[in-house]
Parts: sequence; structure tokens; C-alpha cells
Amino acid sequence: MSSAADASAPARRGIGRALLADPMGLAGLVLVTIFLLMALLAPWIAPYDPIALDVKAKFQPPSAAHWAGTDHLGRDLLSRIIWGARLALGIAITSVGIAGAIGLVLGLIAGYGPRWLDSILVLVFDSMSSLPMIFFALAVITVLGPGTTTLIIVIVLVSFPAYARLIRTQTLALSGADYILAEKAMGAGTGRIIFRHLLPNVVGPLVILICMDIPVVIMLEAGLSYLNLGVKPPSPSWGNILSEGYNALRQAPHVVIVAGIPLVLATLGFTFLGEGLRDVLDPRGAGRRWG
Amino acid sequence: MLWNTDRRGFLKTAGAGLAAAATLPRFAWAAEGDTLRLRVTADFQVLDPFGIIGELDDIIPRCTNVTLVRLGDMREGNPVRPWAAEKIEWLDGTRLAFTLREGLTWTGDYGPVTAADVKFSFERIAGSESAWAYQFEKLKEVEVIDDRNGIIHLTEAFAPFMVIALPYYGGHIVCQKAVEAAGGSYTTEIPAQCGPYLVDSWEQNQKITLVANPAWTGEKPAFARVEFYIVTDDQAAQLAYEADAFDFTRVAVGAAAQLKGAMPEGATLIEAASTRYAWLTINMNAEPLKDIRVRQAIQYAYDGEAVLAGAYDGLVPRSTGVVPPTSGYARASNRIATRDVAKAQALLAEAGAEGLELNLYALTDGTSQTIAQIIQANLAEAGITVNIQPTEDAAYWALGDKTAGEDYKSIELVLMNFAGGIDPTENLVWFRPEQIGIYNWSFFDNAEYEDLYQASMTEQDPDKRRAMFNRMEDLMEDSGGFIFICFEPYLALHDSNLVPVILADGHPDPVAFRMT
Repeated sequence: MSSAADASAPARRGIGRALLADPMGLAGLVLVTIFLLMALLAPWIAPYDPIALDVKAKFQPPSAAHWAGTDHLGRDLLSRIIWGARLALGIAITSVGIAGAIGLVLGLIAGYGPRWLDSILVLVFDSMSSLPMIFFALAVITVLGPGTTTLIIVIVLVSFPAYARLIRTQTLALSGADYILAEKAMGAGTGRIIFRHLLPNVVGPLVILICMDIPVVIMLEAGLSYLNLGVKPPSPSWGNILSEGYNALRQAPHVVIVAGIPLVLATLGFTFLGEGLRDVLDPRGAGRRWG
Repeated sequence: MLWNTDRRGFLKTAGAGLAAAATLPRFAWAAEGDTLRLRVTADFQVLDPFGIIGELDDIIPRCTNVTLVRLGDMREGNPVRPWAAEKIEWLDGTRLAFTLREGLTWTGDYGPVTAADVKFSFERIAGSESAWAYQFEKLKEVEVIDDRNGIIHLTEAFAPFMVIALPYYGGHIVCQKAVEAAGGSYTTEIPAQCGPYLVDSWEQNQKITLVANPAWTGEKPAFARVEFYIVTDDQAAQLAYEADAFDFTRVAVGAAAQLKGAMPEGATLIEAASTRYAWLTINMNAEPLKDIRVRQAIQYAYDGEAVLAGAYDGLVPRSTGVVPPTSGYARASNRIATRDVAKAQALLAEAGAEGLELNLYALTDGTSQTIAQIIQANLAEAGITVNIQPTEDAAYWALGDKTAGEDYKSIELVLMNFAGGIDPTENLVWFRPEQIGIYNWSFFDNAEYEDLYQASMTEQDPDKRRAMFNRMEDLMEDSGGFIFICFEPYLALHDSNLVPVILADGHPDPVAFRMT
């Protein structure tokens, strides 16, 4: 039987081509690829050990030996930025990935399950969403203590309700569609309907939302680390580098600049990529963009 | 209109906009001539001498209350001179007679400052739960002769009483009638003032203004108004100073090199040795640190030179204890003066403590975090994994506080620093057994130390006192509970036409500030 899911396959095959044709999407793809490569290849491309101290060489400006200069403990900033990409993307992708998975499952249950369960889950999603993100993060960190694991837990907890709500809405819209009703009439089981028809059609918007959330998560991690509430030293978080650089802003401004650039570029990259994906995956958006 | 295009002129304009948009909406943007503008790092909490906690808590009573004697600038050797006392002299080793100046009057119709007020002020703190009770540890009583005359009786001869007890903190004189009318203590509203200045206004966490006391009959201070601006961040404070928002501010240690290279126009940099001492606490009561070999391994693994270069720009040498070198009583050197990683590793192996993991608590300021990271790297070389726990002020000071729970028994490593006093006993007092669960976070409990402390309080011979203090610091180091880091450098910026006075605790005395 032909279905909407099957009909979307040709469109998905053209995603890459459409993304490359969009200047913003292309720029996002390039930036994200660069950061992903930095993260993956950090052990091989970082010129120095990112936590090795050389106090006598502190606050050296950019030079041939240290392309991005050194920090207050004489550590090579370029190496710390490269390893920082691994940390930032690792935390962002892991946490939004987990949040996405939780949101997907709970959203499908809420949208396709019994009404009473939907009501309970919606109440949970709304309750979680009503908590101010930063205050909630601070509360969790106070209880669990700062650290990478705590950061991931915080991000998962603040992110999954939005994903679940999105999936629920999509599921509710799709579950009344003719082809789903036809499947049901033909005796298809719940599993087949969810995995064969609903899942492929709700994943696209979730991917877009996750992609758009990654820069938010990167900034949240950097912000909490800046406040000494995130990644613990000596791990080279971009937020830690910024925080340490701020203390010497007047004497060594290069530290803050060097730490700020990847934050800006990573944010732009993921945002552009998310925008590009939305335009490609959302036919209405694509219509607006390309006419 | 003429535009000032020099660096300070630009910063003045830019800084005005920046600060106005931030948290300091009421800066006076030009020196008023009769207004002294000082930057402090935090708002006050308790103005009652009984419960004084921090910086501004004591600076304000220096202005609004009086003490029998007053200290001079720490850079001039902390000279002592009579203040509320017209005359003060030792009758013998245990009796100190004083005569109050005429004309000292309390606000609020509480009449003149009397010897009974002195008695009340000191005796309410002596033997109490106040943190400043140690100042009056040797106080027997204050005998009131008449309104203006009294005799302070000590339990035994105690030579440094004059500089320890009288000039500040618990030494501020309060009005007995007013305090009793307020219920026996107070916090943010002083019930009666008698000093050269009166509190005029308080904008919480922003600004405190004092104005000259019209009833003050003593030596007139140089400024009619004193304004304290609360700016926590040193970087912001330095920028604000350059924008002419204050006349005086402390600056970060790391700013010294930059300032020396480009001093703001019309500014002078104070660079002095302070009495603030920094050390690493190693809690010998914590399970992984009960074996002295493990504690000694930490002492051997510590790289003092790296810490001084990294955190203090090499401005100060390593300390040999908590007794300041300027006192003349400091030890010549540490017992473990040089780093020996191999020895540290051997000690750990001998103790069967390989793979040790410890928590190091440190405040969140840049200097503390820098030191913590260097120690983390030092100990890693010896095979100890250190997890740095950046801790905010309130949580930090609860770490070793027995009234905050049982956790004080198991904290492992803590980076600490205290404002010091003039007499060595003022710094050594915190490591007595009775301070465990208060400020002795190492759980250092040594009977010989306590005996020496008591003996040093009454010993008059400087050489014998030096030997006692040196031995006490040997005991501290030998216990493995301490690594002495340094006496922190004191750095401040002030207008060149200003003569600041900094007391031994590193805080300014606005009453004594003068114009050149």
C-alpha cells in the first residue's frame, strides 16, 4: 500500500541537494561539519595537551608557537578550544539526543494513547515547561552539584517537554488522517501504525527542533560553566575559558576573544543548519523561500 | 563645549553610560572636593561590634563609633595613638587606665560617652559567643572610676592587648542605654552614634553615604561626606575607577602589570605586603587523610613557585606560616620548602593510597580558582586526582562550621585566606583546638600548640615570643594539616591627591584619609 511516508521518500532524497542550494543552509552545514571534525579529531589535531600547565608562559599573545596564545596558566588556547568543541558538542548532542528520545516516546504515547494518559502527560509537560530554565538549572545543580553529568541531566529535563509536546501534536494530527484510519480498518496493529506511519512523519520536525536547540544548549553549558556551575576545571569548556579570560580582560583580551569566536560560530552554524533543514523539510517553509 | 579626548576622559564618558545601565545608578561622576568615594566589595551585614562579619561591617563603625585607641597605616608599622581616650597608660602589667576625651556625645539624646559604655562594650563580648571574644580573652573587668575614667583589668599580663583588643572590631564602643533599649544587640541600624561621621543613607547592595557629625568635637576629618560604592567585581571596579566613579578602590592582583604599564592619569597604585594570609587546609580528620604520610605527600607535591607565579604574578614570596614577616616573628623557612614529587609518590605508595581522589573546595574568585587548578595539576603528578569544587561565599563558610551539620568533619582540602592582625597571636588563634568546627578546618589539635599560645600571650621577651611562634608553626606544618601559600599582596588605586590610610586588616580608615 502506498502511504504518506512512502510519498515523502523522494523529498528526503533531495534534502542534501536542497540544503546545499541554500546559502544559509550550506554555511550552517560547513560550520557544523568543521566543529564536528574538531570534536572528533581533537586528540590528533590539538597541538598541545589542553590541561598541561606552563605558568611561566601565561598570557602569551597569539604567536607561531601558540596560534591562539595561552591562558592564565600558560595552557595553549587553541588546544583548549579544540577540546572544548568536543566537550560542548558532546554535551549538547548527548543531552538533546536523550531529551529527543524521551520526548519522542512520551509524545507518541500522549498522542496515540488513551485520553486519560494524554491528560496526565500534558500536565507533566506543561508543568516542566513552566519552570524558568536558568532557575531550574540552578536548583538541580544545587542538589546534585556541578559537573558534566549534572549538566546533561539539567538539559534533558528542561528540553524533553518541548519535544514531547511537538511529537504529541504531530501524532494527534496524523492519527486522524485517512491513511491511518484505513490502516486501522484493515486491522493494522498499534505497533505497525506507530513505527511504520507515525514515527517517520513526526521525526522530521523533531530533528529540526533538536538542531535549533543545540546552540541553545551550547550557550547554556557555556553560561553555567562561566558561573562555575557547569563543567569543572581543568576540562576545557568554552565557558570556563571565557570565565578565566574575563578575570584578565584588561591584560590579555585575546583569551576572551578566542573563547568567544567558537561560541558565536557554533551558534550560527547550528542555527543556520536548523533553518535550512526547516526550509527543506517543511514544504510550506520551502514554498516561502523558493516560491 | 570642550571635549576631553584623553584616555580617562573617554573612559569617564563610556563608563558613565555603562555603569548607569548596570547596577550603580547613583555614581557621583566627579570628585566633589569634600566627598570621599570609596569602593567596597560587599554590603554590610551586621554593624553591632558583637556580630561584625566582614569588610564594611567594621569600616562603618570606624566612622560612626569610637575606639579607645586608633591604628595608623599598615605601611607605617601600624602606629597606635589615643582616640576616644584622652589618656591611656599601663599602671602595671594587668591594669590599663584610660580617661575619655571630653565632648564625645551620643546621638539620640543618650548623653556623653562614658566609662560605663566602655565597660558594657567590652564585657558583653568577653567570654561570649562573639567571633571577637578572643580579643578580650584576658579581660577580667572594666572598673568604672567615674564618667570619664576607668581601669581595664586583665587576668594576667598581656602585652599586645592594646593593639589586639582596642582599635577595631570588638573594640568599638557602643552606647549601653541605646543598645539595651534596642534589645541588647542590633544589626543594620546603629541605635546611637558618636563618631566623626553619621550614617546618612543606605541603598542596599549599592551605596552607603555617611555625613560629618556636627556634634563631633575631635579632630575634623578631611571630608564632609563619605560614600561607599559596592562593586563586587574587581575588573568592573577598576573600569569604574578609570571612569572617575571612585577615589579609591582595591584592584585584582593580576592588574598590577597592566597598571604599571599604563597607569590611569592622576592615579597612584599602592602595592604593599598585606597581613592577609593564604594556605591550603588539609583536614586530618577526613578518612582519606588520616594517614600522615598522605598529608605529607600532598605537602611534597605542592609547587609553591608555580602558585606564586600563576596566581600572584610573583609579587610576593612563599609564606612560612601565618605570622607575617613584617611582625619580625615569622619563621625563617618551611620544613618542606622544596617540591619533591618522587617523595610524594613514595609516601603515597607506603601508605597504600595510590589512586587517591580528593575534593578541593575553593571560593569562586579568579585567584582562588587559579591556585586550585595549579594544586590540582601538582597533585595529579603525584598520582592524586583532585576534584575542584568552586563554592560560593555562603556555602563556603558553612563548610567547616559545626553548627551547619556534620560535614565539617569530612571536608578534605580547602583553600583558605584570612585577614590578619598585628600581633601574631591574632593569626595563630584560629588554629587552637577550641576552633575546630569554627575556623580550624584542619582539625589540628595539639596540646603543645595550645600551651605555647597561652604562654605567648603573656610573654614579654620578643626573642622568647619569636621562638614560641616559630615552634607553633613548626607544629602546624609537621601535622600535615597545612600548606602555607603566601601573604597576599595588597593592591589599590587611588587619586594621587589623596592620602589613604589602610589598617592592618587591609581595610581603609576613611576618617584618616587626607588630601595632599
